Amino acid sequence: MDDLLTERLAELAVGFGANVQADQIVMVTAELGRESLARAVAAAAYRAGARYVDVTYTDAFVRRAKIENAGDDAIGYAPVWHVERMKQMGEQRVAVIALEAALDPAATEGLDPVRLGDDQSPVRQAYLRLVMERLINWCIIACPTPEWAARVHPGLPTDQAFERLSQEIERVCRLDEDDPVAAWQTRFDRLTEISERLGGHRFEAIHFSGDGTDLTVGLLPSAEWACATFTTADGISHHPNLPTEEVFTTPDPRRTEGVVRSTKPLNIEGTLVTGLTVRFEGGRAVAIGADGGAEVLRGRASRDDGASRLGELALVDGEGRIGALDRVFYSTLIDENAASHIALGSGLGYLVKDERDKQQVNSSSIHIDFMIGSPEIDVDGVNADGTRVPVLRGGEWQI
Amino acid sequence: MADLTIDERRRRLARLLVGFGANVQPGQTVMVGGDIDDRELVRAVADECYLAGARFVELNYFDLHLKRARIEFGGDDSIGYATTWSYEHARAAAAEKWAIISLSGGTDPSILAGLDPDRLGRDNSPVNTEWLKAVSEQLVNWTVGPSPSPVWASVVHPDMEPDAALELLWSEVERVCRLDEQDPVASWEQRMGDMVATAGRINDLHFDALYFQGPGTDLEVGLLPSSRFISGGSETADGIPHRPNVPSEEAFTTPDPTRVNGEVRATRPLDVGGTVVTGLRVRFEDGRAVAIDADQGAEVLRARTAIDDGGVRLGEVALVDGESRIGQLGTVFYETLLDENAACHIALGQGFDYCVSDDDVERINASQIHIDFMIGDDDVDVTGVTDSGDRVPVLRGGAWQI
Repeated sequence: MDDLLTERLAELAVGFGANVQADQIVMVTAELGRESLARAVAAAAYRAGARYVDVTYTDAFVRRAKIENAGDDAIGYAPVWHVERMKQMGEQRVAVIALEAALDPAATEGLDPVRLGDDQSPVRQAYLRLVMERLINWCIIACPTPEWAARVHPGLPTDQAFERLSQEIERVCRLDEDDPVAAWQTRFDRLTEISERLGGHRFEAIHFSGDGTDLTVGLLPSAEWACATFTTADGISHHPNLPTEEVFTTPDPRRTEGVVRSTKPLNIEGTLVTGLTVRFEGGRAVAIGADGGAEVLRGRASRDDGASRLGELALVDGEGRIGALDRVFYSTLIDENAASHIALGSGLGYLVKDERDKQQVNSSSIHIDFMIGSPEIDVDGVNADGTRVPVLRGGEWQI
Repeated sequence: MADLTIDERRRRLARLLVGFGANVQPGQTVMVGGDIDDRELVRAVADECYLAGARFVELNYFDLHLKRARIEFGGDDSIGYATTWSYEHARAAAAEKWAIISLSGGTDPSILAGLDPDRLGRDNSPVNTEWLKAVSEQLVNWTVGPSPSPVWASVVHPDMEPDAALELLWSEVERVCRLDEQDPVASWEQRMGDMVATAGRINDLHFDALYFQGPGTDLEVGLLPSSRFISGGSETADGIPHRPNVPSEEAFTTPDPTRVNGEVRATRPLDVGGTVVTGLRVRFEDGRAVAIDADQGAEVLRARTAIDDGGVRLGEVALVDGESRIGQLGTVFYETLLDENAACHIALGQGFDYCVSDDDVERINASQIHIDFMIGDDDVDVTGVTDSGDRVPVLRGGAWQI
């Protein structure tokens, strides 16, 4: 990644992504190895008038040391001030920018999947609350790294792999356009139009079929469809995922039925879950099978009552730039925007208008997306009378 | 040590810092701090912490490039700003009685080059006061240890090939940390035992003041009636012994901040938050540094010391003899941890309340800074004056006289 791309990614994250306001505090989280972009984000945020930029570097190899060597009481533990920090971040309406890349597999290879699954910090829950209550303007942006590039392009020498990944990130972030913000605005206009049409149909359920999948996901009557353009409770509009191509809603966690086969590998903090199949009954994932990594997902899905139920349903069409690359990026941020997907765990309460429906929205300490769409999968809307309306065929919108 | 792999060398240093240095206890939260270039040693330290039974290792990476971004592009109210949760962080460390391991090494001076020295000097986090409080109230078992990095090696040995410079720095660090001994901990216990005995003899003389005299230096540092020299280890209020500095060769105390007079010349360069100050000369009148001059970097030190009332007064005076392995090497490390243990030194800023009795605790210096600089050398004589006016030689040619 050259300095120019770093600079442009940083500007996109600070301006269009998080939309950092003058005098705001900006929290940046970055795994070690992503310093170049973290520094560029800090500089861009100060130029945008940020009061202070607080960068937290995390280290997956120190986490590895914990999983390997620490006592049981260390697993899932975090000092209470971490939770207090989240609370104050909400009170002070900070901006948050997270730099996303696939981890070096060496950081998690061979670790006990049960301990890894149990090591869920309570801070995560506190952070999700900030998001759900719309207290923060935030953005997760892709950050090319050599480790990530080696994962995506294992056949290429390191520098070529990195160069290729950087070009791909540039492409999917629309930074190859003269005016990336205008290009994003056009795409968001289209996605907004689709979400309004989907909402207008008031479907009872969405049905996925094809290629080993026969799944019905029930919808909540007052749940809206949206694309990833958010507005905080204070009215700051922002774009939480860059790139993004999805329209999504929060489903009825009691009414998921059938079998679904994942169409792309799922990366859970470094563990790759491949060939995933999940069977749902009465909204619950009652069977989770996979060619590899099933235990890690099972561990996550048994964390709490809501962890085995759906919190999100998202549709992605073939116009998205990610699907067109036909590449596995081993990163949910990007891969989930290649295809339609569902998520186990916490729902998106703000999408639901009716108070009774709001109480039905799934609640959990986890939120794990996995990809279930492809051009071979048909997506239909199911009306209250059981009739079906084609929504996606061969990756094209039918509505 | 050359026959050990770099991983094994890191592990030996990490083990010394976790066990002998901070003395991490089972169930403790440990904060491990270091420059972003120290990541390999940070990982080794974290590993040893968990092996020692730590419950949580909290990483605290510093990145001077972020400081640069703030100084260069931040508004005036960004300079010296601290978030409310950074206070929570320091208070949690005190309330939960954490262990703290800080890695220290020279940083790349070009990162902060060309920035406004006034803004640089003012960019000091006010939370430092909270951290210094946790230390001075002895609530945390802590240590600071060296972390050899390629950047630091290039600063210390600029004329060498990078690999050779790093190898030499590693072997110097191993030498001064006594990691070249079969049993480094036993070697340290012997040296620290000798230093504790020396500190005891100094304390028995009940000096009223210390005089430093040598080329460019003629300085009187008044002591408080109960100022007590401490050496080697420390102990938390709960009785956990720890060694605040690895290596440590000093006997130090907190002086009377109102009775410092005369001129002093620094005998080694010092690093002030990434800016190197060379050829430093300071004149004191009635405890206050009234003139700060230097060949290079004086503005940064002036701005830093102007941060509060105590910033221009002394919080520490420390004696180091010629047996110090750091002094013997003769290498300038551009890094306070090592350089301050090469020679006698004084520090502007916060004092140590545990060096005095309750009667004097209100009189020690208070500041949000603590900046050490070296004033000792073989040609700087140190003389103690008792309250009855007797002059007692303390150090001559680097050798203890008591």
